[in-house]
Amino acid sequence: MNYSYTPQSGAVKFTMILSGAVFALMMVLGLLMRAAQGEWLDIEPELFYQILTAHGAGMVGTAGLSGAAVMWYFLGRHIPLTKAVFWIFLSLFIAGVVFILGSIFVGGFAGGWTFLFPLPAMSGGLWEVGAAVSFMLGYTLIGVGFLIYYIEVGRQIIKRFGGLANALGWQLILGRKTDDIPPPAIVAAAAVVIFNSIAIVLGAAVLVVSIVNLLAPEFEVDALLAKNLIYFFGHVFINASIYMAVVAVYEIIPEYTGRPWKTTRIFAIAWNVVLIFVMAIYWHHLLQDTVLPAWMLITGQLVSYFSGIPLLAVTAFSLCVYIRGSNMKWDLTSALLVISIAGWSVGSIPASIDGMIAVNKVMHNTQWVPGHFHTYLLLGEVAMSFGFMAWLVRGKNIRTLSGLDKAAFITYVFGAVGFILVFLISGAASVPRRWAVHLPEWILQDRVGTIFAALVVLGTLGFVVRYVLGLIFENQASGDQISGDQNSGDMSSGGQPSLGQKA
Amino acid sequence: MMFRYGVAAVFMASAFALSPFVVSDPVLHVLVQIPLLLLSGGLVASRITISKDIAYVYLIIALVTLIYWMLPRSIDAALSSTWYDVAKFVSLPLLVGAPLALSWKHIHPVLRGFLKANAISMLGILAFLYIHAPIRICNSYLVTDQQNLGYGFFFVAIALSLYWSWPLIFGAPTQRPPQRTRSQHLSYEGTSSMSSHPAVD
Repeated sequence: MNYSYTPQSGAVKFTMILSGAVFALMMVLGLLMRAAQGEWLDIEPELFYQILTAHGAGMVGTAGLSGAAVMWYFLGRHIPLTKAVFWIFLSLFIAGVVFILGSIFVGGFAGGWTFLFPLPAMSGGLWEVGAAVSFMLGYTLIGVGFLIYYIEVGRQIIKRFGGLANALGWQLILGRKTDDIPPPAIVAAAAVVIFNSIAIVLGAAVLVVSIVNLLAPEFEVDALLAKNLIYFFGHVFINASIYMAVVAVYEIIPEYTGRPWKTTRIFAIAWNVVLIFVMAIYWHHLLQDTVLPAWMLITGQLVSYFSGIPLLAVTAFSLCVYIRGSNMKWDLTSALLVISIAGWSVGSIPASIDGMIAVNKVMHNTQWVPGHFHTYLLLGEVAMSFGFMAWLVRGKNIRTLSGLDKAAFITYVFGAVGFILVFLISGAASVPRRWAVHLPEWILQDRVGTIFAALVVLGTLGFVVRYVLGLIFENQASGDQISGDQNSGDMSSGGQPSLGQKA
Repeated sequence: MMFRYGVAAVFMASAFALSPFVVSDPVLHVLVQIPLLLLSGGLVASRITISKDIAYVYLIIALVTLIYWMLPRSIDAALSSTWYDVAKFVSLPLLVGAPLALSWKHIHPVLRGFLKANAISMLGILAFLYIHAPIRICNSYLVTDQQNLGYGFFFVAIALSLYWSWPLIFGAPTQRPPQRTRSQHLSYEGTSSMSSHPAVD
């Protein structure tokens, strides 16, 4: 073991079971929506929008949860993290989910995961104020959980590296001599701690303000300010989920290439640039708000253009360099992690196109946008999480990608690419997003999208079942090993159940 | 020690001296006089040591009392009733400032961080409430005055954010990882490693 500390694998493995199950469930909800749009399924519009809200909130939340679990695990190699904090985080997350699900499926809340003012307060009689309040309380609980998580990560990084500037690699950037260069996982974590903590604090403020407005409508919210705060919070949060999960790539890929992933000066600069850009990029959601100052709109366009370059160029380019000539071993883990970087890179292209003011005017409310963020998620963060899950139960030996693994991988990637392309093509044809009922001219795309969505669900079920079975067999193997050791009176190797002995 | 008490006394005297002026200006009342009272109590108690076992009791006392004085109704009462005004001068130093100072160093760092983040978030919420309230929240102050207070909360939130986050950015490490062999050291610094598998807790 080349690390100073041992990661907390138990809590993380449990979290990944939850994440995998919720990912699968949320994908089924997505499948139902596409089938309903294609008129293969009869879903009342009221229920459709409830499902849409649950799908959005569930996917974003689970992306955050799985990203947090990945980062917690690998940070555990470099800094000592307090286990109780993770359980508090997870408990608050689950409590928040209960509030959110209750608000949607009991209270009928269907205002979308973005809870954009004034929709939650103007339901047209579809839901009561209490349902909207419950939804926002759920978000607040989840936000508090994440804040506690980041405080713990931040304080341990500061204790170990002496300030977030050092952890962000400023010594390296400034060309100062140092014998304590932070590993890539720490650089990434320091950046995420900063920008997502700010997002959560501001998000908590706008959530409470929205709750006050719901309960006492006389307290009017400035709609433009609320939109800025909500999109800042939402956009930074979902970006952070990818930035947390990418730590898996930095930490796992070296096992396959035999080349350690280094914190170089360029790498540190890229992450520092991202730290700024990720907080300014949300303006591309406001390009249709022409009352905003022109400089904000122009900055939104420019930052949307440039934000993908530093990190993706460094991460994607570095990955290619590390893989090239390394005799890379391909199994489910490495295949998913590499495809996740590819998906993340490709996903930035439709985002940049939509970030152009001229395009945004006609494209932002079409299926082009779900096409963009499903690329980031299905072939980005979610693929990273599934890759991490596969690695957790892989064992010590890397096996080639074959059999069911290969089938699940191909099904998932083929389904995801097709599903995303249908969204992008539909968006280019001006098919609106978030509509429960579609015109007859759009039905064909919806049905093709439904078939691809079904493939994604199949692939996902394969990954999740494989992971759960892997954990079960692993525990049995550990139990057998301990039992055998006890019988033989030799505890030298079996005192600690060794994970990865069997997979 | 005496210097500390002296400064605390000056703060308390300043708070008294502001009394005639706070009647017409909620910014002076809430963002100057009340902090002075809190600081005076905190300064007196800051060198006193308490047992870690009761630190959280002091913290709860401080937070509950603070919540009471966050209510506009309480601020109003302090202007219209002498007894409430006396209660303010007694409770804020003794039941908020002092217990907070006594308990602060014993509180878990994660909770300290959470309280700071919550303070910033709460100041933002108060800023919203006071700026956007459609009615006079305090009977004693004009709508324009309470809007000024709202902007005051906003600026305090920004100032505290900068003040509290600055030390987080720059500083020296206080904890080094456990001793490693030279070969382990070389493979660790600035890199992810090539070893390893999921280990048990």
